[in-house]
Amino acid sequence: MIETLTYRYDANAPVARRAHVGVVASGNCEILLEPAGDSQASVVVRTSVTGYADTWKAVLARFFERNPIAANVEINDFGATPAVVALRLEQALETAQ
Amino acid sequence: MSERSRGSIWFERLAAGGTRVAGLPPSVQVADGALEGVPVRWIAVVPDPNGRFERARNGEMGIDEGFGVAQAVAGTPRDRAVVAIVDVPGQAFGIREEAIGLQRALAAPTYAYARVRRDGAPVAALVVGKAISGAFLAHGLQAGWIGALNDGGIEVHVMSEPAVARVTRMDRGDLARVALEVPATARDIATFSTFGAIDRLFDVVDPCDPTESEFARVSEALAAALRDPRLARRNPRDRLDTPAAVRTRALSRRVREALEAQWDD
Amino acid sequence: MNVLLADSFAERGARERAQGLLDPQTYRELLGPFERVSSPYLAAQSVVPQSDDGVVVARGTLGGVRACVIATDGRFLGGSIGEIGGAKIAGALELSRRDAERGAPTRTVLALDTGGIRLQEANLGILAVSEISDAIVALRELVPVVALIAGRVGVYGGLSLSTALCSQIIVSEGARIGLNGPDVVETESGIEELDSSDRPLIWRVMGGRRRYDQGFATDFVDDDVGAIREAVLHAFERPRELGPLVAPPFPNPRLERNEFLRAMGIEP
Repeated sequence: MIETLTYRYDANAPVARRAHVGVVASGNCEILLEPAGDSQASVVVRTSVTGYADTWKAVLARFFERNPIAANVEINDFGATPAVVALRLEQALETAQ
Repeated sequence: MSERSRGSIWFERLAAGGTRVAGLPPSVQVADGALEGVPVRWIAVVPDPNGRFERARNGEMGIDEGFGVAQAVAGTPRDRAVVAIVDVPGQAFGIREEAIGLQRALAAPTYAYARVRRDGAPVAALVVGKAISGAFLAHGLQAGWIGALNDGGIEVHVMSEPAVARVTRMDRGDLARVALEVPATARDIATFSTFGAIDRLFDVVDPCDPTESEFARVSEALAAALRDPRLARRNPRDRLDTPAAVRTRALSRRVREALEAQWDD
Repeated sequence: MNVLLADSFAERGARERAQGLLDPQTYRELLGPFERVSSPYLAAQSVVPQSDDGVVVARGTLGGVRACVIATDGRFLGGSIGEIGGAKIAGALELSRRDAERGAPTRTVLALDTGGIRLQEANLGILAVSEISDAIVALRELVPVVALIAGRVGVYGGLSLSTALCSQIIVSEGARIGLNGPDVVETESGIEELDSSDRPLIWRVMGGRRRYDQGFATDFVDDDVGAIREAVLHAFERPRELGPLVAPPFPNPRLERNEFLRAMGIEP
């Protein structure tokens, strides 16, 4: 089973370019980040580890509160811990700026 | 193995009257004969219960089989077609083989088949039994034309079913359900033939004892394929242009088109 | 080599490996992750697909000459080859052959790190590998085809045959080359045949050093991006062909396992 989760956040900061980081490997995730046209961030998470929607919500909310970037973000996850997800998001942001 | 293998049965029938090629291990059966006037070198891998490698006694492709088939293919006289009779349950799973270099032993026939085909010899394969993984890659899949018996005993896969079950922790029922959703994981020849790599399927009631008319149909089709001048120029990539592959391997085609479009700046 | 200062090739992902091989600032990826050509077969088998299907095809130059680096990512499903990744590899090789036919050769490097054909796409993987092998045979008629095996997985399964078809093979100590992975041998033939947790033995049997000593690789390199890039450049500038695919000498296979291995020069 694969779970697909989607989230949206208000955003006001543009990003300069797209970014690709990470890998779909055990305990890791791949992130594709692209500038979005509107003032919103939209996130799609696909994960093979089901039942952690609350955790995802918390990790993503924390990131987009601090970084209200207008971006479309796709996360392909293979059981990354919240810390790894946060790190990958930071890396993606750094590349995109 | 007391019963004769399918590969051995079909080899005996097809190569009947041909001249045995000597100097090869007993598990590699090779004969020069003719099929409806077409000169053919027949090549089959068969079980050898006394084989010197204990992990390659049931018809597996091992060190002797790989280098043996390669030698037979490479030594095919000019103007003679090559036909691989395929009944290979897999490659040998042994430490001796890995230490010697099994990847090279199976690369050798892969190279030899591709080489003689590219040099203009008609190369065909007839799948009469199992066609598993590296063994099929090395003995059969480099042919320009592949026929197969339309029979429940034929298996095409990358791994034996018990091994797949162990690795995926799925039982036969689960695997069958996955195969319905993802046909590439199915083992039966009917499903495999939907990918465009099988040029002809032959109905036989008893694949271990084909009737005269069943055998004649296989012989005729094989001879016709070998006589077709287009065969010598047909490479594995051309299978993508078959009507079946256009439907079922659309992604393989799309990826190539995209690469071509992006290849040069 | 100062291990602490080395820029490890094995620790990089496929993309960063390809970047490290090509001349600086010339890297251009084909069918990259944002094109999202990913496997449609995995979700049904509870596996999340990766956006590049674990295979990177990059153009650029190598020593100033047009080049193509094909790199598989051993971290995604063991670098396994499915329909898309397989088509990327075969397609790139076919285009390299076309370039060579047109008299504008592309230096082609296969930087492989793979456990073999992807079980979840089994028979589509087999077909792709048969096309890859033929494409290598076709390409090396005209120009050298260089395989670089310097990743954490090494090369196993169908692509180990394809690798053996290349005109040159560069290996690192950490890489392994074999048809059957140790776990497969153990599963199929038992732990007394091969204990897949015995890493030192596995490297003595199929490690990069061993394969080089057997003459199955043309070059042996340290796990360092600079050193590996040098070796790849060297392979094109001064090609050294691998020996023909004929049976090497080996001891009587009827010898008891450990005796056989010792006779091969391998401490069991």
